[in-house]
Amino acid sequence: MLCYCPAAMESLSAVERGALVVSVEHHPLPLFTLRLRVEAPYPSVHPGQFAMVQAPTTLEPYLRRAFSVFTLQRAGESVGEGLELEIHGKVIGPGTAALAAAVPGRTLRLLAPLGRGFDLSGGGRAVLVAGGVGSAALSMLAEELVARRVEFDFVYGGRGQSDLAHGDRFGELARASGGEYFPVTEDGSHGERGLVTAPLSRLLHQGRCQRIFTCGPDPMMKAVCSLAEEHGAAVQAALETPMGCGYGACLGCVVPRRDGGLALCCRVGPVFDGREVAW
Amino acid sequence: MAIDPSAVDLAVELAGLRLANPLLSASGTFGYGLEFGALTRLEHFGGLVTKGLSLEPLVGNPPPRIAETRGGMLNSIGLQNIGIEAFVRDVLPGLADYPAQVIVNLFGYSRDEYARLAERVDGLPGIAAIELNVSCPNVKRGGIQFGHDPDQLSALVAAVRPTTSKPIIVKLSPNVTSPVELGLAAKDAGADILSAINTVVGMAIDSRTRRPLLATVKGGLSGPAIKPIALRIVFDVARGVGLPVMAIGGVESVDDVLEFVLAGASAVQVGTALFRRPDTVEQLVEGLRQRLAGDGVRSVRELVGGVELGGSPP
Repeated sequence: MLCYCPAAMESLSAVERGALVVSVEHHPLPLFTLRLRVEAPYPSVHPGQFAMVQAPTTLEPYLRRAFSVFTLQRAGESVGEGLELEIHGKVIGPGTAALAAAVPGRTLRLLAPLGRGFDLSGGGRAVLVAGGVGSAALSMLAEELVARRVEFDFVYGGRGQSDLAHGDRFGELARASGGEYFPVTEDGSHGERGLVTAPLSRLLHQGRCQRIFTCGPDPMMKAVCSLAEEHGAAVQAALETPMGCGYGACLGCVVPRRDGGLALCCRVGPVFDGREVAW
Repeated sequence: MAIDPSAVDLAVELAGLRLANPLLSASGTFGYGLEFGALTRLEHFGGLVTKGLSLEPLVGNPPPRIAETRGGMLNSIGLQNIGIEAFVRDVLPGLADYPAQVIVNLFGYSRDEYARLAERVDGLPGIAAIELNVSCPNVKRGGIQFGHDPDQLSALVAAVRPTTSKPIIVKLSPNVTSPVELGLAAKDAGADILSAINTVVGMAIDSRTRRPLLATVKGGLSGPAIKPIALRIVFDVARGVGLPVMAIGGVESVDDVLEFVLAGASAVQVGTALFRRPDTVEQLVEGLRQRLAGDGVRSVRELVGGVELGGSPP
């Protein structure tokens, strides 16, 4: 029942650092991508891990905001020049608004990498299912799967075309892996009209999907997980819950599990076996 | 006037509890201390107060458990904890490697449970003091009933007193008319130290969904938003009760620490600020040392209760 045992907890690899704001790109708003530079050496970041980013504000919000690490690259030719880390977010409140308005050249506090990312140990063809800004959690995963020569399709859903800010990137990565890219919008403004479950269902029926990685709104992930279960496919879901600290101190971010227990999203997750979550 | 920072004496002593510096992590904001060693240097802590511990493990409340508000946050964790036995077995040995004084925060549903918890840790040298949690607003029964009624609090402290030789800290609730009255009841029954304040009961509603932001509807407010309330209570309790006081409530800067010390606190617990930045305690210890050195203050003890009340405000 109890998921929180400090003795059984994996050790933290996260570091607390200042991060230089390199650029902020609006896609347009409310979607934005914030590029931050951190000094070397920096711990390695596993796909699906996240960062707690302090908005350039003092009281509202007071706490940091959790974001998936979208990309991580060397800042220059040599390792010594540090790393550039991107987060992809959506303005929904004062915290994200302040981050979208961050000024290049200023420094933000950053705690990363946090949480347990995707488990890549299983085999088989994969399908990545992203809903809107949730696509950020699948970005480094898609890169890693290409590097590991795992073929995957990428299903990218949103209300309309503007929700699919990184379609070009995910399309390229899917094709580089040998797979396909399926944009889906509820209003039909881009790609197929409807929900991500339609192409996913077809891929499952065609036997082109042994495992699913998903991130997006809860109702979407719930539907994806139930399709996966029907077809006996493995499914890993990256969850988003309100987080106070991101590192296991506040115990605020619990996720209900099917066995009746509660799991800390920031330490046990944010990636869960989709069959273990009480959606 | 300025002196060398290394000459500043940060050590404090409260009813026999000696701390290398006046800064501690507050209960419920830093787990059991060991989990976050990678994020801050525990050796810089004057002390750490554990997450509230009960006789049996507790799962806590359903989500959502936290909601951010302006200048702070509401929580309704519900005392999720691993239980006293797991703490003593799995965590306490690891804490022996650090100079920080370990204070266990204890929570029970009855006087007898508090007494059993206190008795369980009495013989353990790794524990410097016990803090009685009689003011958690997030559980339906137990705890808070003792913190809101002077007679009940007095009976509780009297039941715990014979079970332990360690200093007893009573953590006061701000959600009462007279914290001083509760503090006096605790003192008369044998408490050694008071800590103030626990969270302030509050609430938040999402105007779009028209639903409360917490599953339990109400929760405990913490963070900078509650600092003036905490400062007033620390001031009143330090003067009105006559026991050493540990201040808690929205501390995030050296100025905050000094305000509480001037109001009468001998030590200061840091809570919600740790969620925002995990190395806040060590930052504050160093910042306090520099500040006192710059001001030519040789010992932080000189400032305890030193607020100037004479004359008219500047």
